[in-house]
Amino acid sequence: MNAAVVAVERVSKWYGQVIGLNDISAEVHPGVTGLLGPNGAGKSTLLKLIAGQLKPSKGSVRVFDESVWGNPGLFFRVGFCPEQDSFYDQMTGLEWVTALVRLNGFSESEATEAARLAMDSVDLLDAADKKIGAYSKGMRQRVKLAQAVVHGPDLLVLDEPLAGMDPVARRQVIKLIKGWGSSGKSVLVSSHILHEIESMTSTILLMNHGRILAEGDIAAIRGLIDEHPHKIRIRLSDPRAFARGFLDHVGLRSLCLEEGALVIETENPDAFYSRLTEVAASGALGDVQEVSSPDDNLQAVFEYLVK
Amino acid sequence: MSTPLTSNVPVVPSFFRSAVRVYELSLGRMLWSRRTLFMALVVGGPVAVALVLRLLAALDLLSLTGGVDFVDSANQRVTIDGPGIFGLMVWGFYLRFSVPLLGVFYGTSLIADEIEDKTITYLFTRPLSRCAVLAGKYFAYLVSTGLVLLPSVMLVFFLVVSLLGGSIGAAFPSLVTDLALLAVGLAVYGALFMLIGTWFRRPLLTGLVFILGWEPIVAVVPGYLKRFTVSYYLEGLAPHAMPQDRAVTGILGVMQVSEVVPSVAASLIGLGLILVGGLSLSAWVVERREYVIEQ
Repeated sequence: MNAAVVAVERVSKWYGQVIGLNDISAEVHPGVTGLLGPNGAGKSTLLKLIAGQLKPSKGSVRVFDESVWGNPGLFFRVGFCPEQDSFYDQMTGLEWVTALVRLNGFSESEATEAARLAMDSVDLLDAADKKIGAYSKGMRQRVKLAQAVVHGPDLLVLDEPLAGMDPVARRQVIKLIKGWGSSGKSVLVSSHILHEIESMTSTILLMNHGRILAEGDIAAIRGLIDEHPHKIRIRLSDPRAFARGFLDHVGLRSLCLEEGALVIETENPDAFYSRLTEVAASGALGDVQEVSSPDDNLQAVFEYLVK
Repeated sequence: MSTPLTSNVPVVPSFFRSAVRVYELSLGRMLWSRRTLFMALVVGGPVAVALVLRLLAALDLLSLTGGVDFVDSANQRVTIDGPGIFGLMVWGFYLRFSVPLLGVFYGTSLIADEIEDKTITYLFTRPLSRCAVLAGKYFAYLVSTGLVLLPSVMLVFFLVVSLLGGSIGAAFPSLVTDLALLAVGLAVYGALFMLIGTWFRRPLLTGLVFILGWEPIVAVVPGYLKRFTVSYYLEGLAPHAMPQDRAVTGILGVMQVSEVVPSVAASLIGLGLILVGGLSLSAWVVERREYVIEQ
């Protein structure tokens, strides 16, 4: 096994009286590692600790064998894509990524070149000169990824990078992340959706209630998931047409129409997501704008696991 | 799609270079904001008044070439000329009102805005010290507030002094002194409010309480409390920038300017301590503080 890129040792983190992480230890190695857990599990706290944005209350977090808190030099080798959907909206995507990589010491011309390449790598070059404020949710997610990779880091820390993306953009980003992993970078990516993590990697850290429940291969918990119906919310232009198109889908348990959205419960999420991506790409059943998965179903699996 | 550049052997940018990069990133955001529009309207007020007076004078509807008459505390009629009126405006409007207001609005927002907008993470995950981020933002503050305030002061000088019968050439050195004094005020208030912005949860409210509550109140309370204000030390520098005559002294009395003012040396030391203390403590807080950004 390669040397650990990230080593978290007996780390606890308190927010006043509230415990965010409870005595966790974990390692991240080259390749893609998925951090899976329901909302409130402590995933973001762990990622912020690894990205040096928080200081552990107890224990140590080391990245490339250096303590990360108060060590800005490490950010030459680390790229962080935060969860929050916040930008300098009045700047264009290219200006923003250029300005940020200038902070890494790049000259104006180097920064512009690197930013163009990064925008291209997330398939956003065509929109590079548009203001970020005018970007769609998927584009905003991708420009966040561009700023994380622009300086060519060895470790990428990505907090819910697929949140709110449409299926086509989601597929592109999953491909990107897998590509970064296979190119030798270490990628730590969080999600509360097992299907997303599974499509990127088989190496996972499973978290709940501030603890790591399991780490290693995803197959071990895969079977458990299928016992629990998976709920998916799709925001789209024509929910009725979409519902009609999916009525015959294998494993479908329920369909619930909402205003401009459809909530589907399925026992076969893999097949569903696969068909959803095809349908979204073809545009046959209208425009699919956003796909999200409430984590209630995943919460049920975690509760089952910790019993 | 292509692969992003991989940097060569990384060299940590110097503190100064990092601060300049942050300055470049921050200046545009600071200048083109609603805050700047509001402050430009505030400091544009005297310019507008001076322009109206100029227009009236040009149309022979008003003649102020002999200065403006006042009745002082001894019930005697006194006349203040252009430089005197300008000096009063510098003290009464710019130094005691506009500079603290600019300091509060911009200074408290330097870090607080990035936290509120949840964009601070992008700055703190780059290979530069947090102090360099702070320094770059402070430079941007000085330039932004200077660009908002100083043109207004110069315009008012040129419009008012000659209108009220003063000589622009003779009064010009005092303009330079006034501009320097205002720049010092901006620097000191900025450092103080930057500290409040990094430390307090509601920095704008705290800052407004300081400039609209604490400073005016302790200015009229006898004792040592006024030493814990910025205006006390600025006051020690201000009279040297204004013409000294009976009328000005009388009006300053009405404006509750303390009779006991610190010496220039004491003022400079006091302001220097606030400046250095504000900057150092801000840096200390920012380097140690965890900024928890919630989605």
